[in-house]
Amino acid sequence: MSSLSASSRSRRAWWQRLALPAVLILISLVFIAPIAWMGATSIKPESQALEGGLRPLPRIERDGGGLGVTQPDYWRGVAASAGATYRDVLTSPFADFVAYLRNSLIVAALSVVGMVVSCSVVAYGLSRIRWQGRGVLFLITLATMMIPATVLMAPQFILFKHLGWIGTYRPLWVPAWLGGAFGIFLMRQFFLGIPRELDEAARLDGCSHPRIFVSIILPLARPALAVVALFQFTASWNDFVLPLIVLNHEHEYTLGVGLYMFVSKHGSTPWNQVMAASVLAILPVLVLFLLTQRAFVEGIATRGLKD
Amino acid sequence: MLYWEKWTGREGAAIQRVIDRYNESQHHAWVHRVSIADLPAKAMVAIGGGDPPDLVGLFSFNVPHYAEARAVMAMDEFARSDEFDLDRYAPHVRDILTHEGRAWGGINTCSTSALFFNRTHLREIGLDAPPRTLDAFDEAAAALTVTDATGRIQRAGFLQTLPGWWPYLWALIFDCPLYDPATHRAIIADDRAIAAMHWVQETARRLGVGATRAFSGAFPRTYHSAQDPFISERVSMILQGPWLSAFIREHNPALDWGCVPMPLPADAPEPHLARGMVEGDVLMIPRGCPHPEEAFDFLLFTQLRENQELLAKVHGKGSPMREISDSFREGHTNPEVTVFDAIARSHRARILPQTRIWKQYADMVMSAFDAVWGGESPESALLLVERRAQQLLDLDSRRNAAHGPNA
Amino acid sequence: MTSADRPIRVRRVHPWLLGVAWTSPWLVGLVVFLAVPVLLSLIYGFTEYSLIEPPIPVGAANYREMLGDGLFWRVLANTLLYTVLAVGIGTVLSLGIAVALEQRVPGSDLVRAVVFLPTVVPVVAASLAWAWMFSAESGLINTLLAHVGIRGPDWLGDGRWAMLSVVIVGLWGIGSQVVIYAAALRDVPRQLYDAAAIDGATPIGRFFRITLPQISPTVLFNVVMSIIWSIQVFAAPLIMTKGGPDNATLVYSLYVYRNAFEYGRMGYASALAWVQFLVALILTGMALWLGRRLVHYRGAS
Repeated sequence: MSSLSASSRSRRAWWQRLALPAVLILISLVFIAPIAWMGATSIKPESQALEGGLRPLPRIERDGGGLGVTQPDYWRGVAASAGATYRDVLTSPFADFVAYLRNSLIVAALSVVGMVVSCSVVAYGLSRIRWQGRGVLFLITLATMMIPATVLMAPQFILFKHLGWIGTYRPLWVPAWLGGAFGIFLMRQFFLGIPRELDEAARLDGCSHPRIFVSIILPLARPALAVVALFQFTASWNDFVLPLIVLNHEHEYTLGVGLYMFVSKHGSTPWNQVMAASVLAILPVLVLFLLTQRAFVEGIATRGLKD
Repeated sequence: MLYWEKWTGREGAAIQRVIDRYNESQHHAWVHRVSIADLPAKAMVAIGGGDPPDLVGLFSFNVPHYAEARAVMAMDEFARSDEFDLDRYAPHVRDILTHEGRAWGGINTCSTSALFFNRTHLREIGLDAPPRTLDAFDEAAAALTVTDATGRIQRAGFLQTLPGWWPYLWALIFDCPLYDPATHRAIIADDRAIAAMHWVQETARRLGVGATRAFSGAFPRTYHSAQDPFISERVSMILQGPWLSAFIREHNPALDWGCVPMPLPADAPEPHLARGMVEGDVLMIPRGCPHPEEAFDFLLFTQLRENQELLAKVHGKGSPMREISDSFREGHTNPEVTVFDAIARSHRARILPQTRIWKQYADMVMSAFDAVWGGESPESALLLVERRAQQLLDLDSRRNAAHGPNA
Repeated sequence: MTSADRPIRVRRVHPWLLGVAWTSPWLVGLVVFLAVPVLLSLIYGFTEYSLIEPPIPVGAANYREMLGDGLFWRVLANTLLYTVLAVGIGTVLSLGIAVALEQRVPGSDLVRAVVFLPTVVPVVAASLAWAWMFSAESGLINTLLAHVGIRGPDWLGDGRWAMLSVVIVGLWGIGSQVVIYAAALRDVPRQLYDAAAIDGATPIGRFFRITLPQISPTVLFNVVMSIIWSIQVFAAPLIMTKGGPDNATLVYSLYVYRNAFEYGRMGYASALAWVQFLVALILTGMALWLGRRLVHYRGAS
């Protein structure tokens, strides 16, 4: 595509050259606005949050007058206002966000480890062992990506009830230890890209499959493992439907459900607190994303690859 | 013992006082209260999933659903069930607690709804209290409404969309029973309910659908705050439960207000008897819970008159008991509690349909109300609701028949 | 992996057994967490089941009931409306953004990250943030509109706008589609553009004659995936509108949820879920059929 612009750049008028950056800036603003506004609301006192208006920062009044942003006292005031909101959220009688954070972390950690282990083992079976049925299994795996998750909401609940898992974390992480379609797909594509000569040489030396898997394939597949781990972490962290139906006790809630219950339990909606709680919920994934942005984006891009 | 309760805030603190009393009164059991959002759905899922708490605090309209599904234990299933005495309760409360001839839980305060009015506003049009008939009431409401040049509502005299969570109440005011338990028939496409919806539609027509939606949409969907339409004095009259009195005291103590029963159509029979619905909060014991007998002991404790009166006082509600103690009205937080009490004891007041499909039925009435407000014909909207509700009721009868009588 | 250090000399292990052994976690997972629930729901779909009482067989009554259930048709129509809007607008929008990103102006990597960011935001937080943005009186959107002299609607309280609001929340998450399109755009052979440049084609002509046919398999993939995503939309309407006003945003999954977990009708919910699955199959089938006629596979022409 770069050739498209290169060949015509010289002929473009100035407004044409500015149009594209302007559009990109506008796009970024639209996409960042909800998160930015969430952050801005979370540091305001409740009364100012409800006023609306476009001020991104709270108004801090002292002795009848508003302080300007250049005054150090202003920032002290902002910090105090933000601190008050976040303290209210963390000590709220309606929710225990510290516990929710911990629960979400436990569930995410268990499911990430399970997903990475199981997907890499299964992908090895799908890419390194020639057996009848592996093509069919791969097709079935792809087809399961086409089942809308909410279709399984009621039937999975019935299954978990029969297993006696309602009110436990098991429904949230045990299935991950048995693999997931997207992770297996991604890992298999990656394994297929590893030269076969490597393991064939090893096999001639008498290495077993587990040995090859552990000492040759896995070390080479680190980037793919990382991508699967990242995606599983976000999927688990962001899961809402399943925890909503299987978790019963408040101290067991994960962040999504806890946040939802916090809002529905509150009589009125103290938007500053709700936004502050939301900030707490998105912060971990946000940081993770900023650190690993490339891996994320490249991982998603491979999803569009045709087999 | 784990006790799930929907109450939070002041109401949560009140039940906690009762729990504390209980925990101090004996040494073999300890009640731990957890407040849960969305409790009716959550509790059913937990019981169905085999992981129930020992006690759940639900709404009166949940009783039939939970009773028929055998999700809770009947009061006659306990070793000391003879200590549970239905005759101690006011008549409507007795009806709330019983289904299919058995009692399924204890009461945890009951309430009715009355018309709150802003006395200062009414004086502007030369009235001391709202008129007793609907025609005169509508006129007063129109006179109290203030709109600006563009048709935007600044203040409403009365709006049926506020607070907006019990549209079936208008049918009850017009004496439509909604349901006949003897024949299992849904009754909502009948003349009385249709008249009620026409009356509702008249307001929408007079003030404009868009203007009323914009006005009511701006309020938070709860009464707990200073932004409540009545507390913030942007609505002069509102049909509300007794708890509103406590929130007025908290957020706008200077407000001069009073309560009367809702005005009635001119041709209403026995117009001296107040209409309204009696609802209650109920305390039930889930089937399959870890400590049923201990839970029952706590339940009995909460049913003592002094504990129910304590809760009622804090909530601003009337007493659910048949006999009211002499000291009940003293120091009651709601100055108009006698109005609510009178409605609760009127035999023209009703309880909500005692059927497990009520939640679904109510959801349908809710959307029919929205549709009527938007201009759809009440006849056709209500007929749709009645047909579907009857279908569900028939299905329910078949299900009950399959499970045999009171398994 | 206990056998890792013990070299297996038994090369005679049948490859089929070996393959099944390596893929066994997934085989178990497929059966237990997919096949069994799907089968269970097929069975329960023919019963009346309240979760607590034992299920009562009712034959095809649930499916017959659906035909006469006005709300079933309503939620089906709502979900299809959502799907058409989300997939239609989403495809045009994400293609447009991808093309803009691939012009490679300085900073486009940053824009790409910003556009992708919402896809990692938990759906509850996203719905709450948008509910706050859509708030009629003090929300950011109506405040901005007021600045240019427009009185914004009551987005979530007005039936005519509520569905669009929910769709907008969905569109906020098109980042992954954008990234997939951007990758596909990069793969279009440059020679094709150079040839077109000689022919003097306009940029728009080039897009429709070269780019779109070249990336059409990716378009098909994205359309199919977003159809599946749209059919299961659940959390945003639950959190933002609870399906209201007047059921305007009551979507299919929300109705299934209510029947299963609020009305105590697991049997009816199971039947509803099966129909939802069939609808998803039909829609993807239609998309794939259309795709077969329109999609240009490289080297095929």
